[in-house]
Amino acid sequence: MNTPLGDHSPFAPTRRRFIQQGVATSLTVAVPIPLLAQGTPAAPASPPPRQPQSFIRINRDSSVNLYLPTSEMGQGIHTGQAQILADELGADWKRVAVEMPLRPSPDQRITFIGQMRSVGSNGIRYWHDPLRLAAAQARTVLIQAAATRLAVDPASLDAVDGAIVHAPTGRRIPMGDLVEAASALPVPTQPVLRPLSQQKLVGKTVARLDVPAKVRGEAVFSSDVKLPGMAYGAVRLTPVFSAEVERIDDATALAMPGVLAVVRVPRGAVVVAESWWQAKQAADVLDIRFTSTPHDTLDSAEIDRRLKAGLDVAGVRPALTRGDAAAAFSSASKVVEAEYSVPMLAHACMEPICGTARATADSAELWVGTQGHDMIRMALERFAGISNERMTLHTTYLGGGFGRKTIADIALQAVLASRAVGGRAVKVIWQRADDMQQGYYRQTMMARFRAALDAEGRITAMQIRVSGPQLGGQAATGTAVASDPFSLNGLTAMHYQIPALHIDHAVVPLPIPFGAWHSIAHSFTGYWLETFMNECAAAARQDPVAYRRAHLGGQTRMLAVLDQVAKRSQWASPPAAGVHRGVAVVESYGSPVAQVVEMRLVDGKVKVERVCVAIDCGRAINPGQVEQQMHAGVIGGLSAAFYGKITIQDGRAQQTNFGDYPLMRIHEAPKIHTDIVEIGSPLGGVGEPGVPPVAPALIAALHSATGQFVRSLPLVDHKLV
Amino acid sequence: MTTPCNVNGRTVEVKADPGTPLLWTLRDELGLTGTKFGCGVALCGACTVHVDGQPVRACITPTGFASGKRVVTIEGAGKDRIGRALQAAWISLDVPQCGYCQCGQIMSAAALLREHRKPTDAQIDAAMAGNICRCGTYDRIRAAIKQAAQSLA
Repeated sequence: MNTPLGDHSPFAPTRRRFIQQGVATSLTVAVPIPLLAQGTPAAPASPPPRQPQSFIRINRDSSVNLYLPTSEMGQGIHTGQAQILADELGADWKRVAVEMPLRPSPDQRITFIGQMRSVGSNGIRYWHDPLRLAAAQARTVLIQAAATRLAVDPASLDAVDGAIVHAPTGRRIPMGDLVEAASALPVPTQPVLRPLSQQKLVGKTVARLDVPAKVRGEAVFSSDVKLPGMAYGAVRLTPVFSAEVERIDDATALAMPGVLAVVRVPRGAVVVAESWWQAKQAADVLDIRFTSTPHDTLDSAEIDRRLKAGLDVAGVRPALTRGDAAAAFSSASKVVEAEYSVPMLAHACMEPICGTARATADSAELWVGTQGHDMIRMALERFAGISNERMTLHTTYLGGGFGRKTIADIALQAVLASRAVGGRAVKVIWQRADDMQQGYYRQTMMARFRAALDAEGRITAMQIRVSGPQLGGQAATGTAVASDPFSLNGLTAMHYQIPALHIDHAVVPLPIPFGAWHSIAHSFTGYWLETFMNECAAAARQDPVAYRRAHLGGQTRMLAVLDQVAKRSQWASPPAAGVHRGVAVVESYGSPVAQVVEMRLVDGKVKVERVCVAIDCGRAINPGQVEQQMHAGVIGGLSAAFYGKITIQDGRAQQTNFGDYPLMRIHEAPKIHTDIVEIGSPLGGVGEPGVPPVAPALIAALHSATGQFVRSLPLVDHKLV
Repeated sequence: MTTPCNVNGRTVEVKADPGTPLLWTLRDELGLTGTKFGCGVALCGACTVHVDGQPVRACITPTGFASGKRVVTIEGAGKDRIGRALQAAWISLDVPQCGYCQCGQIMSAAALLREHRKPTDAQIDAAMAGNICRCGTYDRIRAAIKQAAQSLA
């Protein structure tokens, strides 16, 4: 069945147009960016945003370039987007290239995803429909142009492998030969989309476009940029987050070999030299003194005390309240209560923060592996006097992102460093300790959960008090908020059917910048809620899968992944001797994911042997990539559950490198089995949803082994790894 | 004073101070950026190269150590059978995600296969435990090493 996009489409009716480029040497079709205000009365009257950020270009040689503002940081997004484009257009797969726009959109009416920020597992679900629409528009005008040239009915033509083909006669015109004629034609507002049965790439495990270059050492990451005359920078930044530079004596550093300049930047200095090693050595010995702050004695014990106090503070405005919890608790057969805590986590991308700039007083060209182009734009506008139009931003591959690379600090440092050496290009590379100690951590949080169980063990009421800093942190915003909805993701919209529910968040300001970390709040709310569900199931003496099913009435997607993972892990049969299993299911970023962890205790230490994963992400554009992202979620989540912990002493982060902030290594890594459940759900994300279920599933398996639920992470604190 | 060495089959005279870590000499002087900086203290393996056939962490290996020796980086890995087989397996199984650690992973795997043509799981774990992958590609790394070993048999 063909699927025309109706007027109800969020992209109708004003947001489609060609970008005409004088003489048509290519056919260029804008990929419409959904407006932030879509669906509100004001939106239709607004003129369409200018869209140099997102378009398809079909060239004279029939090759195709796709420009979308989504960075490739390991999630395979460029391949998935290209699959959608190539299928709908009928392009030659081998001749599709994905490019990045050179600056974010300045249009504030569009979401930051559309402006240019790669977060929230949005690469497919945000762009799928607009991309398909634009590709169908391009195909339609190419077919019309071919129909005129061949004097045949357009319905007798199809676009196949980069050409328009007339099957009855076998005639074939390369798309590139039609771009001029097609560019002159009006754009169809409601092109007919290809039926799913005609899709050859979508739904298939197509090999990733970026892999061969990454395997040969040819892929250009942020740190691999090389420009003529380039100098190098290393940083010295305040160890206490809210401190500033008091004074710098740069004489010693400037006398060292190759050193060109010592450049003051916010919260520190960049030492610029002819080589990075020279810059690093000078930065290490730079005589720099930082201001003292009221937080110079802050430590993790004090932070824990403040969070603990937040669990009992009165007068917190509820974030969500429904039903009569008091009545449910007074008539409860059993009350279950638990307190949980999670530490700060560093992103620990394999590639330390890095960026290159060539700058003048009012312009800059940058090369940064960033997932926050709009953040860079705002930082350079505000702190460097560079307007969006005077900024050119080349996006390299990212050596991991996980949310950390939304932050624009590196871009500003590189711009200021370049200005200080007369506009020479400067590549600034942080050392691992800088990367580990400069904040934007996953929040440290505590929570108290209480549940009232009736005689059958069903939860009739749940109370959740969250205590901890807000996302962003008041160090970044200057003010604390009364409540922080981002920190309650996964709780306020929980799928469990619980008649009485009360959730609030006692915001505890901390002088540390917190940021988005792989699945954001779901990384802790998933651990809490799913562990608590397992605690309630244990208190009710019920099987945790059956217990969840009883509380998930009508939640077909949650049930589908839960049932699939139970089937795959043979949940109904007892595990092999010595093997312990645990289960959890969390929906985040539009995709429910269920996981079963299988582990053994070997000499009192956890050995995770296998993790079964079931995800419903709607339709898997590239099943192999979905599987890969589940691996990323499982290993990243296990790594954090085992070891992840940033601690504070004397106001500063104590961890410096992979020795004191370990990541999971191959000998600790389980086998992972992924099932993709397709039941016709809307498209969901895959980059992050694999993270949240793994910690609570592991804790449940540990409970099976030890009879104890671990209520604080990481496991290394409990000597279990 | 320069340091003579052979890098990927080519004789070069390196200008960097002999105390400069080989990593930065390879990357910044010779333009061989496939070898990555991850930790600077030999904890992550992203900078793994071979010196006279032995895997070393280039971030803590002085350039002077390579004097008169043969250095092979990822850019030269495809010149021998083992490196070629590994790169082919890595591509066929789509191992990398972000890809930043993968050149170091392949160089460690190449050293393993030179030693053990048919490595066991335990040998793979032992040889690869020094290479961190933050994206969690370990399952596919194991499979790719086995596939490469099979193709060399």
